[in-house]
Amino acid sequence: MSSTLASKRFDVKKSLVDAVLAGLIALIVFGPIVGVVLDGYAFNLQPDRVAAMIGAVMLGRFVLSLFLQTPRGLAILAGFETVGSGVHVRDPGYQSHLRWVLPLLVVVALVFPFFASKYLLTVVILGLIYVLLGLGLNIVVGLAGLLDLGYVAFYAIGAYGLALGYEHLGLGFWSVLPLAALAAALAGGLLGFPVLRMHGDYLAIVTLGFGEIIRLVLNNWLAFTGGPNGMSVPAPTFLGLEFSRRAKDGGVPFHEFFGIDYNANFKFLFIYLVLLLVVLLVLYVKNRLTRMPVGRAWEALREDEIACRAMGLNHVLVKLSAFMIGASTAGLAGVFFASYQGFVNPASFTFFESALILAIVVLGGMGSTVGVVLAAFVLTVAPELLRSFAEYRVLLFGVLMVLMMIWRPRGLIRVSRNGVQPRQGVAP
Amino acid sequence: MDGIFLQQMINGLTLGAVYGLIAIGYTMVYGIIGMINFAHGEVYMISAYLAAISLAVLAYFGLESFPLLILGTLLFTICITGVYGWVIERVAYKPLRNSTRLAPLISAIGMSLVLQNYVQISQGARQQGVPTLLEGAFKLNIGEGFVQLTYTKVFILIAAFVGMALLTYVIQYTKLGRMCRATQQDRKMASILGINTDRVISYVFVIGAAMAALAGVLITMNYGTFDFYAGFIIGIKAFTAAVLGGIGSLPGAMLGGLILGVAEAQFSGMVNTDYKDVFSFSLLVLILIFRPQGLLGRPHVAKV
Amino acid sequence: MSQMIFSKGFLALAVTAAMGLSSLAQADLVIGVAGPHTGANASFGEQYWRGASQAAEDINAAGGVNGEMIKLVKADDACEPKQAVAVANRLVDQDGAKGVVGHFCSSSTIPASEVYDEAGIIAITPGSTNPQVTERGQPGMFRMCGRDDQQGIVAGDYIVDTLKAAKVAIIHDKDTYGQGLADATKAELHKRGVTEVLYEGLTRGEKDFNALVTKIRAAGAEVVYFGGLHAEAGPLVRQMREQGLTATFLSGDGIVTDELVTTAGGPQYTKGVLMTFGADPRLIPDGKPVIDKFRANGFEPEGYTLYSYASLQTLAAAFAGAGANDPAKASAWLKANPVQTVLGKKEWDAKGDLKVSDYVVYAWDDKGKYHQQ
Repeated sequence: MSSTLASKRFDVKKSLVDAVLAGLIALIVFGPIVGVVLDGYAFNLQPDRVAAMIGAVMLGRFVLSLFLQTPRGLAILAGFETVGSGVHVRDPGYQSHLRWVLPLLVVVALVFPFFASKYLLTVVILGLIYVLLGLGLNIVVGLAGLLDLGYVAFYAIGAYGLALGYEHLGLGFWSVLPLAALAAALAGGLLGFPVLRMHGDYLAIVTLGFGEIIRLVLNNWLAFTGGPNGMSVPAPTFLGLEFSRRAKDGGVPFHEFFGIDYNANFKFLFIYLVLLLVVLLVLYVKNRLTRMPVGRAWEALREDEIACRAMGLNHVLVKLSAFMIGASTAGLAGVFFASYQGFVNPASFTFFESALILAIVVLGGMGSTVGVVLAAFVLTVAPELLRSFAEYRVLLFGVLMVLMMIWRPRGLIRVSRNGVQPRQGVAP
Repeated sequence: MDGIFLQQMINGLTLGAVYGLIAIGYTMVYGIIGMINFAHGEVYMISAYLAAISLAVLAYFGLESFPLLILGTLLFTICITGVYGWVIERVAYKPLRNSTRLAPLISAIGMSLVLQNYVQISQGARQQGVPTLLEGAFKLNIGEGFVQLTYTKVFILIAAFVGMALLTYVIQYTKLGRMCRATQQDRKMASILGINTDRVISYVFVIGAAMAALAGVLITMNYGTFDFYAGFIIGIKAFTAAVLGGIGSLPGAMLGGLILGVAEAQFSGMVNTDYKDVFSFSLLVLILIFRPQGLLGRPHVAKV
Repeated sequence: MSQMIFSKGFLALAVTAAMGLSSLAQADLVIGVAGPHTGANASFGEQYWRGASQAAEDINAAGGVNGEMIKLVKADDACEPKQAVAVANRLVDQDGAKGVVGHFCSSSTIPASEVYDEAGIIAITPGSTNPQVTERGQPGMFRMCGRDDQQGIVAGDYIVDTLKAAKVAIIHDKDTYGQGLADATKAELHKRGVTEVLYEGLTRGEKDFNALVTKIRAAGAEVVYFGGLHAEAGPLVRQMREQGLTATFLSGDGIVTDELVTTAGGPQYTKGVLMTFGADPRLIPDGKPVIDKFRANGFEPEGYTLYSYASLQTLAAAFAGAGANDPAKASAWLKANPVQTVLGKKEWDAKGDLKVSDYVVYAWDDKGKYHQQ
């Protein structure tokens, strides 16, 4: 096998042909759009840009073609053909290295904000919010296998829950936090009950419609939600102490109460710490759930619905539980998002947001918790890191998404499970 | 029947015809590989740019007769957009053919971001437009009101109908169509019988892109304006139309488009424009709850 | 194994993040130019950037501000509140900006200004006209343009006094700017005893408004007032004409760009379209040399370009007037002193609004150009 590989190696002629073909296609594809720039009803020609693009494509194709002839490239090509199993089973009694890394990470996460700049802190908070969203959607999509394209609706319910609760009922951050989770779960239940009986793909579309309906209602119902103007959200308080420079209504701000200097970071520090605790809690709960019968039922249902129903599993109830737990997590995330931003409006809850959260789950490796955490940070930090590329930022983000999917279609981290040691001896 | 109602009917039908043409791309791809091609709306957007470029270039060479202009533009746009369809499939979806069901979906979302921004960077962020090609309109007096129907709209309805008829012929009566249908029914079996299913899938992407290109030329003619962001909203609407009509079914896509268009127009006319999208999505949800396979779709049968 | 590789990758990412975040120039006066440099409104972002960078070039050529050169930082919010907050934090924290020219969409300016206020820096928006921008008691928030309520009064009065219309349809684009403007006009019309026959919103990004146009026709409107941007105004006015609706079309400063003609499909459709906008900056003699510079570079300084230029001029003047590059002092100085800008002499009130708003009505002609009425 390896000798035939060696003899076949570097068929330069084939690569050259590939490159020329790619160049031709690049000419057809890029020629008009890149080369002819519309200017009103007239146009300007920019042949140099087309030439540069074609050159880049040909070079890229040539190098790729050569690389794919190396053993490593062939291995990658072969990888596309195999389906691969979803779950990797480890030896019984295997202990992950993560048990050393995790406590360390938690310590780092706890200490980090006190040294971080405000910008870094806000980016990390956003990252954590997406971790929360990713974890919630992971239960729905990754574990229960229900494709939800309107997840952002529950996120919006949480965020607007805080804004509306403050405006109409005078509720604050702490009282809304559990209420939002409850409200989102309820909404999930209401939506889920009729549609969960459907086949998976239709569920995706119904949820997409639901997400859009929620956003449109928020946008249009001017009297109640402020419409496109959005609503302001109260800053969170610590035992009733505010984090602002000057407290409202004659209260005592946090920094005066404790006699420390004012620092604009306090509010974000507080949000960060509470958020971190909630994320850790959700991580723990999720970890437990996957080991409980209901978690096993989710995964079984994902793998084979007919078999599960034949075994007497109530598929609607099992799906509904996943759907509602996922929704309530999004509700929590929404509350944090609203207080982080201090302002909510419908522009934050578009379909693109749902797609981004879904990308986190898929990229992380469906069902893998560590993967979701990682992917959430990659996808929220990456656009910020790419800011220096100015207008190429979103383009690169898109390219990254495609490349990552091609490189690791099963996500960054493979789901693994410890194998079970069969009991020795004869069964009674 | 009063003039206003009739006018809204016409508004709805032209809008719906366009939705239907784009919906075909969604429905064919879904039918054959079970994947929601989120980048399809962007393919339409690219075709709008191509149409405007072609019109500008043809006008530059002094071409002025409407039939020649439109024919040249259609030919150019459909060919190049078809190549786009092929390239997108080759680059973003083909490597993922054997992976999980969701991987191509994410890749499609990434692809749609890439296409949007690629066009924005190369063409600039400004609103683009084409000059009006066909001026004038039919005017019908009905009672006290009147109905005005521009020649462009008549052209759109005819062109959309011809495009659909052509596609139906191709799918029903040609070898290529039979290969497509066979692959749709059972990909593995089709490949055992000697059909190159990979190539068929590529054809499907090209056909879908070509129909989107037809829609792109027609929409650009009718509304005269577009930007690099134009694919998103119309993509979601067309997708809704495809599902409404029963995803995987060609006549369903057209029917879904028409129903959606008319429903939107009549709802905005009689109730409120603000909530027209809420209405169309609610319609979708309701139809799916009571008829999960869509209007003309085949019910999904799960087999062990 | 694979987990190890990825934790390494993540570490590398974190390191690059930390390095990318620590580039801070000291000797420059950093000013952020925040607006939609990508996304659907990117053409306005380009106007901002062109205007500000030309201004920076001119000011730096004249010796800078208090001995420091102006360094502009492009900050993209894509007109999304979430990105606006992130980019505002970045400007304040990473780039060490002392002043900001921006943002564009009022829905971005409002949340971002909270960040600027907290950091105590000065911000001036060339184009956010929503009243709320300056109504929240922030000392460092200024506006280079008028307010929607001022614009609405001009539009409403014009409808009643000049057009003498009794049946008015009000259409908006369900966005902070468009709806705010439409509401301001509606309020003025009510005050003048005119009740609208139709008040509805369209969806931004859509191009088909035929159903809405039929509805306007059914309501028998003589004047259509539109609060929104040119991307929707163009197709709307075209579809009105195509359906044989001859009502006068009046809009606000969101359609001030030649692209309106492109989006409408030709000047035959935009002919007679009216709009309110500040007295044309290109007609003010003070701006002549600057405008020539823009044109020499092949850029027509339309829309907000000169507003952006003037905003940066104002910031520079405020810092120079305060004698130090201290935002708090500059804000205080700006509220007490007038500034000579490319748009003429400007003064600000205690809220940060312009003391004199100069909204006038323009009309588009059959050549696709607009002229002051």
